[in-house]
Amino acid sequence: MGLIARLATAADIPVLPVIGVGGRAAARHLGLLDGVRVVDHARAAALLLVVGRPTRALLRPLLALHDQLPTPRATVWWKIGLGGDELMEAFADVVECRALDERLLRAVFVELVSGARYSDSPALPDIEPAAWRGVGPYGQGGTGMTGGTPYGRPLAARAPDPDGLELDQLQLEVGPAFAHLPPGLVLHLGVQGDVLRTVAVGDNPFTRWPGDPPLGPLESDVFDEAITSPTPLASLELARARHHLRWVASALRLHGLTAMGRQVAGFAEVLDIDDPTATTELARGLVRNRSLRSTMDGVGVLSAADARAAGGPVARASAVAVDARTDDDAYRRLGFEPITHAAGDAWARFGQRLGEAGQAVALAGRSRASVRSPGAAVEGPRGPVGKAGHRGVTSAWLAAVLPALLTGSEWGDAMTAVVSLDLDLEEIAGADAAVDVAP
Amino acid sequence: MSWSSPVAAVVVVGLVLAVGAYVVAVSDRLAGRATARTGAAIGAVLAGPARDGALLLLTRRSSSQRPDAQGWVLAPMIVVAMAAVAVAVVPLSQGVAVADMDDGIVLIAAVFALVMVGVYLHGWSANAPMPLVGGYRFVALALSYEMPLALVLIAAALPAESLSVGAVVVSQHDLWNVVRQPLGLPLFLVAGTGLAGWGPLNMADGPDLAGGTTAEVSGPARLAWEVARRSVVVAVAVVAAAIFLGGWQGPVLPGWLWMAAKTVVVIVVITGIGHRVARVRLERFVIVAWAVLIPLALVDVFVSGALAL
Repeated sequence: MGLIARLATAADIPVLPVIGVGGRAAARHLGLLDGVRVVDHARAAALLLVVGRPTRALLRPLLALHDQLPTPRATVWWKIGLGGDELMEAFADVVECRALDERLLRAVFVELVSGARYSDSPALPDIEPAAWRGVGPYGQGGTGMTGGTPYGRPLAARAPDPDGLELDQLQLEVGPAFAHLPPGLVLHLGVQGDVLRTVAVGDNPFTRWPGDPPLGPLESDVFDEAITSPTPLASLELARARHHLRWVASALRLHGLTAMGRQVAGFAEVLDIDDPTATTELARGLVRNRSLRSTMDGVGVLSAADARAAGGPVARASAVAVDARTDDDAYRRLGFEPITHAAGDAWARFGQRLGEAGQAVALAGRSRASVRSPGAAVEGPRGPVGKAGHRGVTSAWLAAVLPALLTGSEWGDAMTAVVSLDLDLEEIAGADAAVDVAP
Repeated sequence: MSWSSPVAAVVVVGLVLAVGAYVVAVSDRLAGRATARTGAAIGAVLAGPARDGALLLLTRRSSSQRPDAQGWVLAPMIVVAMAAVAVAVVPLSQGVAVADMDDGIVLIAAVFALVMVGVYLHGWSANAPMPLVGGYRFVALALSYEMPLALVLIAAALPAESLSVGAVVVSQHDLWNVVRQPLGLPLFLVAGTGLAGWGPLNMADGPDLAGGTTAEVSGPARLAWEVARRSVVVAVAVVAAAIFLGGWQGPVLPGWLWMAAKTVVVIVVITGIGHRVARVRLERFVIVAWAVLIPLALVDVFVSGALAL
């Protein structure tokens, strides 16, 4: 092995994670592995990491992403739950694992870079979508000079902009594995410059087909279980605090603060219920960051009606003080009062989750012996968790308001708004499936 | 051999940019390590850029459908060339400059403006949506910081009564411009951060655009682009050290060491900002630039002019 190869084997491993069914919670830990760098796009990656079970709707985008990885490349499948084997056969060579650590990724990476392992071959045929020559009445490739489809490739059509000009409008599809967007979210966008002029939400790739294995595990499973079995309040509140802090970490990464995001994600893993002030201090430091405020202030403002219908921290960030914990005796005994913010924008949701994380750690510390009785509705980290099918209501409602919320936004603001809603498309699919099978 | 001979010029400027780009990469990692509080080994931090560079050298270059191949290759070259020209007109020690021209300040402002061409070309050439939007965003922001950048450079030239960078350095013998013109360096650093597309002003390659202009680039081409971006940070730091921090002047130590130390300080500030300040919103930054930064830069010019009379 030459000097360059020896140096390269010690590099941080650039990994592109693609989240399948049940993979979201597991993938949260990826960014904390030493020597692993989670990248934003396929061209920057050496390893494609499929976390969880792929679905039929995810397979084609997954194969396309795989082929965008530059060689040498390899695919690792972090298998969670049942099924998916027949879909993963579409890849020529996959390293399977049931648990993931840096050593396994490093072993594959070193083999790949040193040449001991063959690079993955393409999974899809490399065929042009249309011929470049000889199409159209003059052999020019297609029809039209502005607009039309020369060479079978549609040109950007003109559309009016708010200044009264006619500007090109690019049609894009982003997702279901676009960096920083919720896994599975597909957006069809019409873009003028960096302004979103049209927005439509695509099909949910996690939708369960007959014969598919069950969905999950989900991040909110611990809250689901609390409906039917006695659960210590401390475990629920710690799970809530971790969820919110992990979300804060992902929001920081979106805003270019990767190292700060890593600090918060690491902090979430070692929460200490005996030291609630540490969480409060962390939250105070972040909400004092004026640059963060400037990035999120006034972005993605939800109407009070939408906020109320969605519930959860999103509603409370819009001054709608709905929280299932207020009706729970165990929480009342601890003197629980919901935190609220008034603005209803991305900054309010950021502050809301930070505030609720601090409150959750404090509640966990005060509630050591308290056990929540089963029966009543539970407040999950995204919203109320009640009867079957109720869990995905918050995400489903918020996904439905995305077109109205994002249209007219600049690209960066639109991404901020989407991330601030903390959607979970697997929860939506789970809710749909539960409704389907309900008698 | 004269410092302005072609061989010496290429060696000196190439060395400054190469070593400087590595210092930028290491400083960025150190700032990230301090922010994340990960306790990563210092050895890994120091060797990290070399390791990542080696991986990029071994990775195959990607292509997109019908890219502008020449433009794609040319883009990082343009950016590095502009950074090199800026470094070339700055005296790196007493009497050591590749080309300390009479109108070096004008040339610096001109080549810094042309960095925009290289960045936009990088986005355009990929013939893909994300790189194109990244290029659009960079251009949309460019005028907003180029004007204050040019104005604070002019203000720095007034006490020296010369547009030569060497004369500006000498004019700071008694008092550095960072003290004499307190608005100058902060405004220059904001503009320089935007010019380099760094940290909060990383409009072209931002994480929200899934890599932006780099979204279709891999292997040696990606390495070239990363070196080019860091070269601009180096050029900004070298110019800032000379124009505002007294350049090579300082007690005891040789001039080149003072110049290197001041350049590293500016690099540390720029990379530190990248880990502490969130990405700006494009429209809001444009408003702030036109309503606050440009008027402040004009005040800097007028006050400096009045004091120089």
